[in-house]
Amino acid sequence: MASQSQVLVEDKSSVRILTLNRPKQMNALCSNMITRLLQLFLAYEEDPNVKLVILKGQGRAFCAGGDVRPVVGDIVQGKWRLGADFFSDQYSLNYVMATYSKVQISILNGIVMGGGAGVSIHGRFRIATEKTVFAMPETALGLFPDVGASYFLSRLPGFFGEYVGLTGARLDGAEILACGLATHFVPSTRLTALEEDLCRVGSSDPVTFAETILNAYTQHPHLKQHSAYHRLHVIDRCFSRKTVEEIISTLEKEAIEEPNEWISATIRALEKASPSSLKISLRSIREGRYQGVGQCLIREFRMVCHVMKGEISKDLGYRAVVIEKDKNPKWEPRGLEEMKDNMVEQYFKRMDEEKGWEDLKLPPRKALPSSIISKL
Amino acid sequence: MSENRALQRAHILANHILRSPPPLPSNLSLAREVCLQYSPPELSESFGGFDAKEMRRLLDGHNTEDRDWLYGLMMQSNLFNRKERGGKLFVSPDYNQTMEQQREITMRRIWYLLEKGVYRGWLTDSGPEAELRKLALLEVCGIYDHSLSIKLGVHFFLWGNAVKFFGTKRHHEKWLKNTEDYVVKGCFAMTELGHGSNVRGIETVTTYDPRTGEFVINTPCESAQKYWIGGAAKHATHTIVFSQLDINGTNQGVHAFIAQIRDEDGNICPNIRIADCGHKIGLNGVDNGRIWFDNLRIPRENLLNSVADVSPDGEYVSAIKDPDQRFGAFMAPLTSGRVTIASSAIYSAKVGLAIALRYSLSRRAFSVKANGPEVLLLDYPSHQRRLLPLLAKTYAMSFAANDLKMIYVKRTPETNKAIHVVSSGLKAVLTWHNMRTLQECREAVGGQGVKTENLVGQLKGEFDVQTTFEGDNNVLMQQVSKALFAEYVSCKKRNKPFKGLRLEHMNSARPVLPTQLSSSTLRCSQFQKNVFCLRERDLLERFTSEVAQLQGRGESRESSFLVNHELAEDLGKAFTEKAILQTVLDAEAKLPTGSLKDVLGLVRSMYALISIEEDPSFLRYGYLSRDNVGDVRREVSKLCGELRPHALALVTSFGIPDAFLGPIAFNWVEANAWSSV
Repeated sequence: MASQSQVLVEDKSSVRILTLNRPKQMNALCSNMITRLLQLFLAYEEDPNVKLVILKGQGRAFCAGGDVRPVVGDIVQGKWRLGADFFSDQYSLNYVMATYSKVQISILNGIVMGGGAGVSIHGRFRIATEKTVFAMPETALGLFPDVGASYFLSRLPGFFGEYVGLTGARLDGAEILACGLATHFVPSTRLTALEEDLCRVGSSDPVTFAETILNAYTQHPHLKQHSAYHRLHVIDRCFSRKTVEEIISTLEKEAIEEPNEWISATIRALEKASPSSLKISLRSIREGRYQGVGQCLIREFRMVCHVMKGEISKDLGYRAVVIEKDKNPKWEPRGLEEMKDNMVEQYFKRMDEEKGWEDLKLPPRKALPSSIISKL
Repeated sequence: MSENRALQRAHILANHILRSPPPLPSNLSLAREVCLQYSPPELSESFGGFDAKEMRRLLDGHNTEDRDWLYGLMMQSNLFNRKERGGKLFVSPDYNQTMEQQREITMRRIWYLLEKGVYRGWLTDSGPEAELRKLALLEVCGIYDHSLSIKLGVHFFLWGNAVKFFGTKRHHEKWLKNTEDYVVKGCFAMTELGHGSNVRGIETVTTYDPRTGEFVINTPCESAQKYWIGGAAKHATHTIVFSQLDINGTNQGVHAFIAQIRDEDGNICPNIRIADCGHKIGLNGVDNGRIWFDNLRIPRENLLNSVADVSPDGEYVSAIKDPDQRFGAFMAPLTSGRVTIASSAIYSAKVGLAIALRYSLSRRAFSVKANGPEVLLLDYPSHQRRLLPLLAKTYAMSFAANDLKMIYVKRTPETNKAIHVVSSGLKAVLTWHNMRTLQECREAVGGQGVKTENLVGQLKGEFDVQTTFEGDNNVLMQQVSKALFAEYVSCKKRNKPFKGLRLEHMNSARPVLPTQLSSSTLRCSQFQKNVFCLRERDLLERFTSEVAQLQGRGESRESSFLVNHELAEDLGKAFTEKAILQTVLDAEAKLPTGSLKDVLGLVRSMYALISIEEDPSFLRYGYLSRDNVGDVRREVSKLCGELRPHALALVTSFGIPDAFLGPIAFNWVEANAWSSV
């Protein structure tokens, strides 16, 4: 029954409002919630009475990510295969959303991180507010931007996606609107009215209907003066480099020529992150640029299994369990130069030697044209 | 009665005029059947056969990650004309832009890639690794747009390499780094209105003035104007000038000089006249120009003096006394142009085939049974026969192009001759293959192929010139035959075994082919090798004996060659096709047993058998019987059926990102929907 209360459902004629309801954990997605969401989304797709699905979060977060603590517990006990099931369900949910034939509207009124991005960005409409805080912080946790992030980050303007994915930089509502992660911006005080208007969807085409309503509410907020988005030129110059090492050395050159707080913070973030995470993340985003969302998720599933199995680096479990209080993680491999290309390569291979392991099986989808196309 | 009939007739006529519809049968449903839906071939085609990623590594051969990095750089910049069609991102040039716009945007793309460090080390680094990186990146540029790669090729491979290879330390220090950073923009003035492939006949004249220590360059007549000089019409600041060098009334032959043609602000320098070559059938992003020199004075140091020099007081000095050899030494570095053209032609064919085959796996036409579903284009044996042999050839030639690159980057003075011959043959055969493939692909996608956004049609215009520049294909093929002739004669004369030019097989006994050709014989690599060797050997013997006969009757060697142009052409082709087959066999031999090796075996057999099927020499000279060639034809058709299931995986293995193919390669229904108008 927990999952019933962890995802609240409201029936408003042709609209279903789903609320992630685990406010103390900032609505982090546990395995029950993921299964429940998957059930609901698939059922709504079949139900001719449902036209719009609204997804939001209780409290000050939309969703702070997947709840990986149980997974880390499993890893430490040598049972990473249990964790694999968790990710397999989560990625399947991401895939269903990316290929959803009905309209999903996510209201990002608060924290959106990692898995939270995975259950919103793939959907048709994403509403930012002045309270939105968006980040993909995985490289600081020994993981990599997953949940289909290699698909949506790689499709941001220029090399902004590499910047967001590698540094874990926090973006506000105006910034995610500017770069395309959000489709609209509505002040939080107007959200109640917006929801009410959306519930009036009648017999007209739901996409056009929702778009008309959202366009009426949306605003064009100014980017703050020090926004990273104003630095797209520098970001493009640095984050377009082929390797993480080159990215950092180019940033350092920029920092010498024109020192500023933003560039030092960026370099610091990269220095603090897990070297193995940085390298596989960069490669993942680069590969994602040429792949469909389904292929991205299949690849990310291979990667996450390698991360959990920890043959090359145990950064994920280590950081989460041992270092949480320390704030001074000891990564292994310690430096970028120790993380060799052939080690990176390992993460992208199938785990054929692992008994019973299979590639991610994406749920079959009916709507063919969109099945290889996400809505970003 | 007749009145009645007249009325009836009038009624029918009235109906025609008023166009009233015929009455509907009452049981006819007006509901439309479900519309055609695009179904991505990925959903229906099996990918179980072999690992496409592995195949891609094999095909690209080197620097896969550098290639992907550059694809990404282009996809992420608005300069590369990003557009969304059918929910997917595409990048390809807007060919509807004017010539001026295309030239400008091409130059801006070059600046962008410069800023990203793409050309790092293109001239200042040496060694095979640096050269391969450079070749890989140039290939990727060419997949985006031929104009882009040609403009880069002129600057780095013609101007830059001329400075590097014809010049000495003083030139390297002054120019190489500046070229790499685009402080100077170089071009390469060799071709003239009156002389193209025959470089030795050019008419531009340079004299030396010992009083000032300067060379004086002149265009003595209209046919001596420099023509087709890429970069000259708009952007280039400097050029290499090829000219006859006249020292005190003695012509020392063709030499290369550096001349500035524009100042930093882009103004044309004094004593230089430049005109535009105008709009072309393709490659309009390249500003081809014409140059006249009117007593242009350049410093003595601007002679590229690696082979010969002129002292301050005007004395000509050269380590190579024989003008023929001197000319050969000059031309040797130009091989790089043919190497890059050959491999870029194959990447163009890959783009065409990826588009046409993907389309053929999603487009249906006609039903075989009444009311049955329409048939997928690639399920028609005729469609398979049109595209799959070209696919196999493209694979084979892709290995040949890689092999050529490898021998080029590892070149030594001893291998120069072999590189010259192999690169000549491959440049001709591969560029011809590309043109033929593009035409077939254009037709195979039907009307969609004439839209420039779908690329296949446009590429014909863009790549056509490849059969001409850096040596006319026909001339190059004759050079192959002449080189083989010379080698044959010299070995026979000295009574030495054949060594070099891949003629070693002629030292062993003439291969004997079986009379009956079973399927397994036809697919046996040794048999295929034997057929190709036999053809080359026999044609070479015929060619040399025909030429010898004519020479015996007092004809000159040159005119004996001319008379035997048909044999020469057959021989050049036989040599090149055998070289290609060998590279596939080498690649195959390196693979461990498994699905990759199996599918490559099919591809190789298809390549070998279609080459036999298409060359009448086998029947003309009786290497194969009429029954034999019938067996070959049947086997080709069988192989089409066997390659059919691998078609999608084989084009996916080209590794060309979706964004670089045309919209018809993907959801062409959505790309053409009213909502996207």
